[in-house]
Amino acid sequence: MSISSDVLNEPQDRDAIIRMDDVSVTYDSGDSYVLDDVSLAIERNEIIGIVGESGSGKSMLASSLLDAVPDPGQLSGSVEYRPVQDQNVEVLALEDSELRALRWEEISMVFQGAMSSFNPTMKIKEHFIETLEAHNAPVETGLNRAHELLEDLYLKPGRVLGSYPHELSGGMQQRALIALSLVLEPDVLVMDEPTAALDLLMQQSILLLLRELREKYDLTMVFITHDLPLVASLADRLAVMYAFELVELGPASEVINTPTHPYTRALLNATPNLNAPLSEMRPVKGKSPAPINVPSGCSYHPRCPLDTEECRTNHPPADPVTPEHTAACFHWEEARTEISLNYAETGTNDGDWR
Amino acid sequence: MSTDPLLRLEDVAVHFENEAGLLTDESEVVQAVDGLSLSIEENDVVSLVGESGCGKTTLGKTAIGLQRPTAGRVTYRGHDIWSVRDGESDADLSWQEIRQSLQIIHQDPGSSLNPNRRILSILSEPLRQVNPELGTSERRERIYSLLERVGMSPAQDFADRYPHQLSGGEQQRVVLSRALLMNPDVILADEAISALDVSLRVEMMDLMLELQAVFDTSYIFISHDLSNARYFTQHGDGKIGVMYLGQLAEVGPAEQLIEDPQHPYTSVLRWATPDLAAVDTPPQELPMRKIDVPDPIDPPSGCRFHTRCPEAREHCRQTDPKPVPAEESSVRCFRAQSTSPYWDSEPLEEND
Ligand code: SF4
Ligand code: SF4
Repeated sequence: MSISSDVLNEPQDRDAIIRMDDVSVTYDSGDSYVLDDVSLAIERNEIIGIVGESGSGKSMLASSLLDAVPDPGQLSGSVEYRPVQDQNVEVLALEDSELRALRWEEISMVFQGAMSSFNPTMKIKEHFIETLEAHNAPVETGLNRAHELLEDLYLKPGRVLGSYPHELSGGMQQRALIALSLVLEPDVLVMDEPTAALDLLMQQSILLLLRELREKYDLTMVFITHDLPLVASLADRLAVMYAFELVELGPASEVINTPTHPYTRALLNATPNLNAPLSEMRPVKGKSPAPINVPSGCSYHPRCPLDTEECRTNHPPADPVTPEHTAACFHWEEARTEISLNYAETGTNDGDWR
Repeated sequence: MSTDPLLRLEDVAVHFENEAGLLTDESEVVQAVDGLSLSIEENDVVSLVGESGCGKTTLGKTAIGLQRPTAGRVTYRGHDIWSVRDGESDADLSWQEIRQSLQIIHQDPGSSLNPNRRILSILSEPLRQVNPELGTSERRERIYSLLERVGMSPAQDFADRYPHQLSGGEQQRVVLSRALLMNPDVILADEAISALDVSLRVEMMDLMLELQAVFDTSYIFISHDLSNARYFTQHGDGKIGVMYLGQLAEVGPAEQLIEDPQHPYTSVLRWATPDLAAVDTPPQELPMRKIDVPDPIDPPSGCRFHTRCPEAREHCRQTDPKPVPAEESSVRCFRAQSTSPYWDSEPLEEND
């Protein structure tokens, strides 16, 4: 594909493959925010987990990466795609045809429920051919690649390509869909709840395969889910969303071992796991806000045990916890001592990021 | 009073006939459940875990009389429920009473609530069935207080809504309330919390367990997630049954089964359960020889898990390990049998 590019000069910038700056999505002529001023740099070759509950804005974040926000949503801000380090494509300024090319050939998307992504009357092979032809890619080479990808995903290529979607199990369909999304050799794979409809064993197996695919094909992966424990061991970094904003961002091991934002800590405590004492698992109190009445100040304040006057009136900016780890909270230091976790916390020392 | 358990499944099998169709020329028999025994006591919690297609839903439905077994018996307080149904039982009990005491809640609450009726009317129905003598205002009072009890307050406001005006979690509470109003002995919760956000699951499980005490009911809790099964089962002081291809691989008290799994498949399910404390050591390798479950139309010979089991040996391919019951548990694997010829047999090669 050909995309016009500008040379970018930001030496202090890490090697981001996608940069979102102040991205917002509004409905009702700006009255309700479904994504509120999100800035995030997705680094080349990382796996980043975007975690949030239903209605937290996480899927909207995925859609905005590809300028695919459903009508009549208004997308503002900037999304830059950098295929190589000094090339810079402003996604929100692309023509429709350029956008279509970008969507499969550079940044590919996989959604939950393969069943709805596949046409039930077409064999899997025809889906591959259709995709290749729509992008003027050589079909034979493409099918060879499909074979390899399917094998990478522990599928028998001959059998899968010759099947109709309903002849495959849910886990096989979802893996076939991942193979399809990679057939045009994109650099970035964005997945929105790609495994949520599957049983846990299949989910973990797919996660294992995604790790291998990342290595083999030098991919960058964005994994969007409500399931924090699931993505925690897959992702290099985790971004936690609450009420349409990013509230915490950092290396996965820091976000899990020393979670900082009060919401992240509550969320982790609400999660059933195999080791924590049962008596210490407890639900997050209260409800997440709807887009029309997001609380003033820190949007978490009505549910937060640490809220102060400042929280109710001022919006907390992302504060560095360590050089790699930020939390949008005025009182994150207290959070670490006041909200205890139900599993072993390590290195609670502020600034101890090793 | 008899010492019969509330519900007992004796050597139950459910085989479905797949009609010959476009893709197959012969009709095929799916062995959804195959020769399985299990009891559920009063105020019990029994969780069934396993992969999609392992037969856990079929087993659950068979236990509560929604699915007729093709072999074996299901008894309710000592009476064969299908004899009652067929009018061949001398039990002092009707089919309707049995069906009423065995309730189900599904994964997708939305689809089991009539979209055109308000919550008040949805919840009035079971009360009218169970307590026909109640007057309208009394019925309403009971419904309001139950709604308050399940955390839907102000009750009056919720009672006036239609199902689509509720969140998924609220719909599930309504479905649970409706089941409880039937005064059941057993509620089958079929992946009832799986569609909820992770953060809402503990709350829903707590609610179900609180109401268990109030309404004096047992649960059959079906889940593909061992950590949820653990939470629910252990709080309810019950047992977990691990299913594989229509059979019980292992049954035991929650903590014992999770801390000290005896069956290799239980260990695999453990591997698949995210562990926050191990975030720095992600699962490295698939602990099975194959990712996909074999087709239940043609289950493997010998031990059904032998095509994937990391511990499989030649003996497992030929012989079916019968379940070995211990005090509170049961394991269907040669490795739990110290004198089995398994130990002298050769490991299976990669692709056997
Ligand atoms: S800013 Fe205040 S209200 Fe918000 S999370 Fe931090 S302590 Fe709680
Ligand atoms: S009997 Fe053999 S194949 Fe079956 S679970 Fe035990 S070791 Fe594995």
